[in-house]
Amino acid sequence: MSLRFLRFITSRWTRLVLVSSVLLAMQTTLLNDMRPFGVMAHVMVLFAASAGVVYGSEIGALAGLIIGLMYDSVLTTPLGLASLVLGATAYIAGVFPYLVRDSSWWSKIIAVAMASAIGEILFPVAQAMVGYSGWVQWRVLTVALVVGVVNLVFAPVMLLLTKWTLKETLVG
Amino acid sequence: MSVLSAKRKRAIALLSLTSIILITLDLQGSASTSVLRGTFGAYFRPIEGVARVVTRPISNAWYGITHYNDVTEENNLLREKIAQQEGAAVAAAASVRLSQELLALNGLPTLAGINSVSAQVIGDSPSNFSQTVEINQGSDSGIKVGMPVMNAAGLVGKITKTFTRRSIVMLITDPEYALSVKVINNPKESPNVIDDPEVAATSTSSTSTTTTVPTTQATSNIPGFTPGATTIPLNTINVTVSIPSLAPTLTVPVSGALPVRETGMLEGRGPTRVPIVRFIDSAQRFGTILPGAPIVTSGGSLSLAPPDIVVGTVTKVSDRLGTAGPILEINLVADLTNLSFVRILLYQPITERVTP
Repeated sequence: MSLRFLRFITSRWTRLVLVSSVLLAMQTTLLNDMRPFGVMAHVMVLFAASAGVVYGSEIGALAGLIIGLMYDSVLTTPLGLASLVLGATAYIAGVFPYLVRDSSWWSKIIAVAMASAIGEILFPVAQAMVGYSGWVQWRVLTVALVVGVVNLVFAPVMLLLTKWTLKETLVG
Repeated sequence: MSVLSAKRKRAIALLSLTSIILITLDLQGSASTSVLRGTFGAYFRPIEGVARVVTRPISNAWYGITHYNDVTEENNLLREKIAQQEGAAVAAAASVRLSQELLALNGLPTLAGINSVSAQVIGDSPSNFSQTVEINQGSDSGIKVGMPVMNAAGLVGKITKTFTRRSIVMLITDPEYALSVKVINNPKESPNVIDDPEVAATSTSSTSTTTTVPTTQATSNIPGFTPGATTIPLNTINVTVSIPSLAPTLTVPVSGALPVRETGMLEGRGPTRVPIVRFIDSAQRFGTILPGAPIVTSGGSLSLAPPDIVVGTVTKVSDRLGTAGPILEINLVADLTNLSFVRILLYQPITERVTP
């Protein structure tokens, strides 16, 4: 029993929930206040995209769905929408490494930035699909660009954090 | 490896399906999603609280760097505005009091008769695609979904979600926001003023209503309205005016010179675009809408807001062909970027009230 509990506590998914909680708190406080060019930097999208780039589409999609579900709980949009969007973002991010022959550190960073921008565009599109159509505007492109650039800057740190968070086991 | 992959695919399918079910439940207004959000909130709020305390110095430093010049300019502008408005506020307060007394005398509802709750804004929406704020009062204070939210200037938005001790307010600028409003169009023509009360009295025919003219004299900048004088439109002139010995001024505006009201639908368009009013009737009666015409809530048995809450003023009128009527761009009186304290009117339309 205690072994199972220990295994649960040290599992990558438990770590994912704990790290996501801290990042979500940063999202709702610090990043919510600091809005360069009137756009909020999006650390949850960054985390999901990094998960896809580092661990591939499958683990990335799973991580994205979980991160999104937590993010959903603080949003006013229908519960589950951000989960689908971040799951899709991470899945797309996981495809990027297959598009380049030898993925280097900088190509991963660019992949994270591009996936973040795509994820940001997916948000209003998904909202429109459930009836909240008012957000599909030209402003979305500005938002995607700013989020992409900001996430490009923070991607190196996030890639390291994601690598540690989703490591299969911390021992050995 | 393939077993692991199959397992993961199953997990992805399961989570995606869960998300779709949750979206469906939430769109149907199921209480289970509120319970889920509430449960997560109980776990997350302490973490958020700690993060807020830790990150506040960084946020403040960011504001200091990026907004210093704006704050200085705003301070100067506000000082100038206060000086301008101090005088106007006295006249406006007198007019509002008079208006409320008249409404009360006629048994009409006024904002003064509606209970309200004050609340502090404790957070913005952590998303680029929703215009909401969170306040620190909830269903424990009697707040219900749909209730209008105001600040000192005017309408701010409406309650869209309530929890026991907090609520979510959808701002007017959110594209999902819509509300029935009135445009008060001030006519250009000046009213005809008849100085001789006897002439005015003889211009009436049948005896149906008696109006006693008040003795107080005041001034007002509102066209078609003279405080302290009896104002009667020509098409309703069939009244006998009983005038005391003071011989006050009787102001009779020309036909259609009184402010005309027309209803329309206010719609938000996101943070970077100003809200608009649609469905304004292009009928002759309304005349030309001029920039600066005030917009107030229209009220009514189906409207979520009571009548006569100030929303803003018309800044631009875009005419459309045919009978579509013009589209009005609105300058909101409430500054939605700097909300600190708000007032929630505990108002529900008659159709929503539950009788015990």
